[in-house]
This record gives sequence, structure tokens and C-alpha cells, in this order.
Amino acid sequence: MAENSARDRILADIRAALRTTPADKPPPPAAIARPSFSDNDRFRAFVQRLEAVAGTWEEVAKAADVPKAVAAYAAQHELEKQVAVAPALAHLDWDAAGLKIDTQAPAPARQLGLTEAVCAVAETGTLVLSSSADHPTTLNFLPEYHLVVMHKDSLVTHLEDAWQLMRQHHQVWPRTVNLVTGPSRTADVEQTIQLGAHGPRSLHVLIVA
Amino acid sequence: MTKRFQLRVEKALNDEHLGKALGHARDGFVVKRQNAIDAFPEFEQCREQAAKIRAHTLAHLDDYLLQYVEKVEALGGQVHWAPTAADARQIILDICAAEKAKVVTKGKSMVSEEVGLNPALEEAGYELVETDLGEYIIQLAHEPPSHIIAPAVHKTREQITELFHQHHQALGYTEKVTSIPGLVNEARQVLRQQFLSADVGITGANFLIAENGAGVIVTNEGNGDLTMSLPRVHIAITGIEKIVPTLDDVSVLLRVLGRSATGQSMTSYTTFFAGPRRDEDADGPEAFHVVLVDNGRSQMLADPEFHDMLRCIRCGACLNHCPVYGSIGGHAYGWVYPGPMGSILTARYQGLDHEPDLPNACTLNGHCAEVCPVKIPLSELMRGLRRHQNAQGMQARPARWGLGLWAALAQRPRLYRMISRIAAGTMARAGKQGVLRSWPLAGGWFAGGRDLPKPQGKTFMDVWKKRNG
Ligand code: SF4
Repeated sequence: MAENSARDRILADIRAALRTTPADKPPPPAAIARPSFSDNDRFRAFVQRLEAVAGTWEEVAKAADVPKAVAAYAAQHELEKQVAVAPALAHLDWDAAGLKIDTQAPAPARQLGLTEAVCAVAETGTLVLSSSADHPTTLNFLPEYHLVVMHKDSLVTHLEDAWQLMRQHHQVWPRTVNLVTGPSRTADVEQTIQLGAHGPRSLHVLIVA
Repeated sequence: MTKRFQLRVEKALNDEHLGKALGHARDGFVVKRQNAIDAFPEFEQCREQAAKIRAHTLAHLDDYLLQYVEKVEALGGQVHWAPTAADARQIILDICAAEKAKVVTKGKSMVSEEVGLNPALEEAGYELVETDLGEYIIQLAHEPPSHIIAPAVHKTREQITELFHQHHQALGYTEKVTSIPGLVNEARQVLRQQFLSADVGITGANFLIAENGAGVIVTNEGNGDLTMSLPRVHIAITGIEKIVPTLDDVSVLLRVLGRSATGQSMTSYTTFFAGPRRDEDADGPEAFHVVLVDNGRSQMLADPEFHDMLRCIRCGACLNHCPVYGSIGGHAYGWVYPGPMGSILTARYQGLDHEPDLPNACTLNGHCAEVCPVKIPLSELMRGLRRHQNAQGMQARPARWGLGLWAALAQRPRLYRMISRIAAGTMARAGKQGVLRSWPLAGGWFAGGRDLPKPQGKTFMDVWKKRNG
């Protein structure tokens, strides 16, 4: 069937169907139902929820301290010293931290990948990552250990607040926006949760104060 | 038809593996959902709002679809409309042929099951790999999914061990792995190669957003993301009813979806994808196609009695809370959608006479409607199906009478158990002749006014309790 006629047929069927239902079509609902918690415990709420989904975190004083923290994490988990890094973070002093970096995408089979969040959502302990030249999306999924840089002042309360930020920053919605809430997991074998199905086994957030 | 359903039910009730696997599932899903809802005092308000958003969207479906399509095309994506299942298959076969694809990876998609995509692709010679672990397991077993969010929920660890051992030996995995981490890890390694070599990646979509032209997939494994971002081409296939007006609306639906499905406030990965890779992007597919499937949906929209069913967001809660599903599993339902939602979708999409026993297998205990996050009155819809069947004379009189009694008893569990146990015992003793006629308590199960098999000595509830106790 020609594409246009298929479209017209479906639309005609929908329109015919909608005529048979009452003329007073329901309006969009106004109130937004969302979890409530006071703004001052937003940070606590975020890290608690992050921990609840098996995410880990640490605070670093400033962005320049990120390479050192990554190196310490790699040493602690006995990982290779070659790290896949989002181009947005390539300018940091990796040599000084004793690490080598790859910035091409899709990331080669590196154990550790580092990306940067646009913002984070306290409601669910979620990181919001958006794709661009500086932020490849595959880097969020290919390495076994996923480290994410998040700026403390980018923490928002609810999902709707994150959308508001995205609308301000992006005229056009990016190709991919990943909401990451904990490491990859599956419960497909006997309903038992196992971390690291196809994506990262670990998620560690470096929170820049 | 009736015969087939009955045989599948008997087979299911006698399958020890199935009983064990379903036992795990039921407890897991039900308890996790309850905990998640207890921790979210606004759940009921949110559910109310979710139902309204879905109703509003459906009432303006044409407008929102066109808004979405306009955005996708502006981003360089291609939109395909599929009035029927055959159209959907053909569209995807044509894209794969034009791309000279060899390896096609797939994320979990119920719509692709609905339109019979996998057999069509395999017949056309593509190497097709399901990447969701559950889907991968049942692909190896050559079985259809038995649950809409946990396709391999009917398989035990032992069965998965055997399947992997059988299929992965040729790939060099000669040791038999039996632990859960071991099995997951082996699948991870095997599938990693497929992700990297695929030409086309096919996913479903949980939602399509009119506001920005993005599609949404909700997963825990990350397989959907690798499927859509590594190959040259990404095809998303989904039903026309999946549209949502805005990002704010999607937030409300996500709040009820995860909690209802797996008890998660958010799944590990919720991904918004829009169009192909941009010039400035570091990765992503060069081409993006979305296939919008009607396949009976606009017809259901026209039906004032059943159009509420289109609100369904495929969370699976109604399956997880259904005692019938919990006992017989998804395969007994005979089509891709099982459980309460499946009984209705099957009757609507495949015709009332496709699986005439489905609405009658229901105990009308109402749990499904109570847990449905978009407030679909599932029990009422089920009653409606029965009315239509009766009107069409699809049931013999004795079965109808039996059904009413059975349904009434099902709402009084203690009495029901007592009576049915007595009845089973009595009939087992009396049943020398091997078949029994007109056993009212089994009306729901063995409708159709035919002879009934001799009870095996245990009642449905006994079997169920033993399994879950
Ligand atoms: S009918 Fe309701 S409970 Fe069942 S899958 Fe659909 S949304 Fe979930």
C-alpha cells in the first residue's frame, strides 16, 4: 500500500471512530500528581534513592578534582588505567592523575567510562544525560563501570523540572536523552535481580559541589 | 477452539517447571508493586491523572499523531503507517532489504510479536537476535513470550542452563553454567558481539511524545539502548495509541508504569530517542524509521464499550494479580497478550470466537481492575465479552448457568475452596466412567457444554496453593 494512502486510511478510521464517542472530548488534566518532599532535603532524597537502586556516589570539591577521583576509583576496583571519557571532559588533566583516555565513539571495550549529566532528579535518584558531539550516548552503556559527573547545583526536584531545563537549553530535542537510574539489571532468571545485564554493572556518581 | 484452550490449561497445570517459575514471579511482582505504592502516598491521585491523560489523548488521537509525525519528519526521521499486521511486516522487510541488512538486533516489543515480525524476518533470511535477556531465552527455546514484561517468566534456571548449554557450546562456552550471575554474564558476552555487528536495530516504544517527536523506551538491561544506538539503522515499531501529548504527561505515566510493573519508581533506563544521528552527534544511527501500527486499534476506538482498553500502557500488573494467569501462565491464552488485558485484546483483535474460553476463564474477582494504573474497568469489559458471546449463542446453556454459580463462589474464597474440594473428591470417587457431565463448579474453565474430564483429585485452588505456599 502506498504510504500516503495508508496514512490517510488510518487517520480516516480514527476520525470516524472519534465521531462515535461523545462530542465533549475530555480536556487535558491540569493537576500534576507527583511525590512531595520538602526542598531542603532534596539532596538527601537524591542520594538515598540513588543508593536504593545500587548506585554509589562521592562528593568532589571542584571539576578539576574529577581525574584524581576517577583514578582512585579505578585503583580501588583494580581496573585498567585507560578510560573512555566523554569529549566534554577531555580537557581535564588526566596525565596528572596517571590515566590515559579515549574519546572516540562508540567507546571501545573499555572497563570504565565517564560521562556528564545535564542534571539529576531527586524524585527518583535519576541522572539525565543528553547526546551530542561532546556526549556520546553509547558511552553510557558499553563500559562495565559507568562514572557520571554531576554538578550539585543541577539537581532538580521532579521530572517536570528536568523537562523545563531541557526546553530552555535545547531548541530541538537531542537525538537521545538517557535517564539513568542505577546500573543495568535484569530479573529474567527466576525473578532474581542481577546487576550488569547488557549495560554497566556499576554506576558511580561524582558530585561536584 | 475450546478443546485447545482446555488442553493448554491442563498441560499448564501439570507442568512442574511452570508452577515453580510462576510461583517466583507472582510473589515477586505483587509484593514489589505493593511496597512501591506504599512508599508513594500520591499514587492514587497519580493514577487518576494517568487515566485522564490517556483518555484525553485518545479523544484527540488524530491531532496528537499528526503533531508527533510532523516533529519526527522535521528531525529527519521517516514515518510509516501500517493499517494491518501484514503492512507492518512488509514495511520493515522493505527497509531491511533497502539497507542490505544481514544481522538484525531487536529490543523487546509486544507489537512486533502481535504483527508476527520475527518469523517474517527469519523467513526472509535475516539473522535475527532478540537482545532482551528474557526474549533471548525464549528465542532459543522457540517459544512465544508468556508475559508482557517478563517474557521468559515461565522458565526455571535449570531450563535456562540447558538452553544456554545447548546453544552456546558452538561459540566456545563448553562449561555448563548454572548460577544466575553466570547465566546473565554468558548471555551478556554472547550478545555483545551481536550488538556490535548488527546493521538494523528494531525496538518498540512505550510512548511517543507529540510535543517533541521523541519516542520513549523503558528498560532495565540497557539492551534497547545498544539496539537503537549501535546499528546504522533504527526502526521503532509501535501502536498508534502510544501517543502522549507532552513531556509532563509522560512523567505522570512513568510514575505509575514502573511501580505497577516491577515496583520501581523508575526503571534503570528510560530513553528518549528522536530522529537519526545529527551532524554534530558523536554516535547514533544514520537512519531512523518509526512504524505506526493500527491493526484493529482504530476499530476498537470506535467501539464505545471497549475503547477504554486502548488506555493500556502494558505494565503487566493485571497479569501479575490474576489467579488464573498465576496458575496457567501466558501460553495457555493462545495469543501474544495474556492475562486479563490479553483476554480482551485477543477477543477484540482476533475476534470473539478466536479464544472463546478466555473471558469465561475469568473469576471476576476484580483484582485486575483494582491494580490497573490507568483505571481500565477490566472486569466490566470481561463481562461485556461474555454478554456478546451469549448473544451470539456461543455457549451452551448448562455452562452459562455453571459459570454464574462459579463466579459467585469465586468471590467467597473459603466457601469456594470447601465446595470445590468436596466436589473434586466426590467426583474422583464416583468417576469410574472417566468423564463427568455438567459439573457446575468448573463452568468457567470447561465452558461449552461438553463432557468434562474426571478430576485428578486436586482442585485448582489446591494446586495453586501448593505452588505458591
Ligand atoms: S490493562 Fe492496565 S494493568 Fe493490565 S497491562 Fe494494561 S495498563 Fe497494565
